[in-house]
Amino acid sequence: MSLDVKDIPASEAGDLGGIDHGKSGIRVLKNNIATVLIWAAFLIALIPLVWILWTVLSKGLSTILTVTWWQKDQSGVGAPGFDTNVRGARHAIIGTLEIAAATSVIAIPIAVMTAIYLVEYGRGKLARGVSFMVDILSGVPSIVAGLFIYAVWVTFFGWKLNAFCSSLALVLLMVPVVCRSTEEMLKLVPNELREASYALGVPKWKTIVKVVLPTSFSGIVTGSLLGFARVAGETAPLLILAQYTQFLNYNLFSGNMAALPTLINVNVPNMAGDQVSADRVWGAACTLILLVLVINLLGRLIGRLTRVKS
Amino acid sequence: MKITRIGRASSVAVVAALALAACGSSSNNDSSSSAPAGGSGSGAAAGTATASGAGDCFSGSLNAAGSTAQQNAITQAISSYQSKCNGAKVSYNGTGSGAGITSFIAKQVDFAGSDSALSPDKGEPAKAKAACGSDALNLPMVTGPIAVAFNVKGVDKLNLTPDLIAKIFSGKITKWNDPEIAAANKGAKLPDTNISVFFRSDESGTTDNFTNYMNKTAPKIWTDEKSKKWTGKVGQGKSKTAGVATAVKATDGGIGYIEWGYAVQNKLNFASVNGVELTGASAGKAVEAAQVVGTGKDLSLKLDYTTKEPGAYPIILVTYEIVCSKYADATKGKNVKSFLSYMASPDFQKTLEGVGAAPLPAEIQSKVVDSINSIS
Repeated sequence: MSLDVKDIPASEAGDLGGIDHGKSGIRVLKNNIATVLIWAAFLIALIPLVWILWTVLSKGLSTILTVTWWQKDQSGVGAPGFDTNVRGARHAIIGTLEIAAATSVIAIPIAVMTAIYLVEYGRGKLARGVSFMVDILSGVPSIVAGLFIYAVWVTFFGWKLNAFCSSLALVLLMVPVVCRSTEEMLKLVPNELREASYALGVPKWKTIVKVVLPTSFSGIVTGSLLGFARVAGETAPLLILAQYTQFLNYNLFSGNMAALPTLINVNVPNMAGDQVSADRVWGAACTLILLVLVINLLGRLIGRLTRVKS
Repeated sequence: MKITRIGRASSVAVVAALALAACGSSSNNDSSSSAPAGGSGSGAAAGTATASGAGDCFSGSLNAAGSTAQQNAITQAISSYQSKCNGAKVSYNGTGSGAGITSFIAKQVDFAGSDSALSPDKGEPAKAKAACGSDALNLPMVTGPIAVAFNVKGVDKLNLTPDLIAKIFSGKITKWNDPEIAAANKGAKLPDTNISVFFRSDESGTTDNFTNYMNKTAPKIWTDEKSKKWTGKVGQGKSKTAGVATAVKATDGGIGYIEWGYAVQNKLNFASVNGVELTGASAGKAVEAAQVVGTGKDLSLKLDYTTKEPGAYPIILVTYEIVCSKYADATKGKNVKSFLSYMASPDFQKTLEGVGAAPLPAEIQSKVVDSINSIS
């Protein structure tokens, strides 16, 4: 609070040298109203979050606490209403992890190098253009990314869809996320470090590789893992590109592969009439939330372990 | 700068991921592996009209998509086929008949499930032929009776005539206590509720068969030709069979056309037609009245909706498997043949009623087996 001391009567200024909260009713009132409003806003924002977590956990926790859920796939699944086994989600968990991993392998190098270009080298029109394109890419709706890959892969080339197509669509979504966060991290690296390096006669590329990147490494890793978590839960492109199967498939490049969102999607239509389908849906939702949570925590952990000590 | 730590941390991550991926076995086969794998000699079932189902197992995967009307039946077939043949991985995605045929033509799936045969008007047989490199065959596989499901408070049983069905679905009758409905249901207490019609918003073979039925049996009232896309002017569209079923269940005064299996599964009431209740037997009688109009090994059926056969429930659809007569990949052809042989076998067909579908009549069934044996 930057109140001018002159405005306050000398008698009041005497004991605190500033504001006396007890004496000005209107200020106290304003303060209290503001506090209540801010807390209310905070609580309202929390309601859906807690509600979602509560619903998913209360309905899905019992499913994912069984060993079968993690060890088996859905092979042998029967018609809804005539099958009493929930079975496992291993095929979908592996599928989600593999698709997200393949996405990261492609997206992270592209995104990090784009960010390096934008921060370290980019000047003028090209850099402005690239930056603008990254913004546009981050605004592309995820379903459009899926349609784009479908159009290129199936309609144009006439190839058979496989799980790798989903990864390609997700790359389009992951690149801008990781690129922006990496850019922010690189901008945080103090210029003095770069200048010190140049003063020792180190070339620019070596400065970037040996000084700038290691300094911002923890931030880049955290950003990348957040991107990973985001694409792991992404659903829209998978609805178009990923052909669900009830069997475990390790091969990204051939055959159908399940993912947690598609496992949910396949079972949702039967939820109303069939408890087993409902269990699968909530179990998969719970697993997905858990997976994203673990990856986020892993990101924090790696960020902490690799932080540069000042 | 502790770069060594980077390596350590990332190796932790890699190890964790590997550990997650490596533990446990994948499938549920443990319980079913006791089932004998059958004679694995190739061609054991070929040539005979009564293929013994899992005569020749295959190991590998098949990918199919299409009609939701046969989803329950084919899911059941996949599961019991797999219990006989451990390595056989067949996946079927219920994307709807239209999407199934599109995927088949785009060579995305090995065979498609559809509630209607490939339509020459749309040039589908030619496109499918181009995709296969050989003629595509329509093989009737599962009879799916279409139930007219309704939800009216206090009414469990409802009898409708073809005219009434057409009038309700075209919006010419809007109240449940309409005198015409009352005339067909003597003694029933019909409430003064508005009729809410629900139809399929996606392209569907169920819609195709249902509109065809109305057009054939009440041509003056339902004047539109059959169509996979609903052409009615009243009602609300819902996605997939499950969407229609859920909507009818949630709406007092709701009515919709859905596959029998879903009506049973969702515990919905469904109407009799001309006093004939919907059962596996009454639907089977209607299929017997159908004519094979496909040429050669193609077995497209022409259903006779106006059948006068006593005790026949006339609103049925026959779901087809659409296959290539000769697959470019011979192994693929053999796998498709093996799986479909099982699905067409009397052993499996007789279990269909349990999942809300009706078996094929014996005469058509033996033709289907014949056609399947010609696939290569």
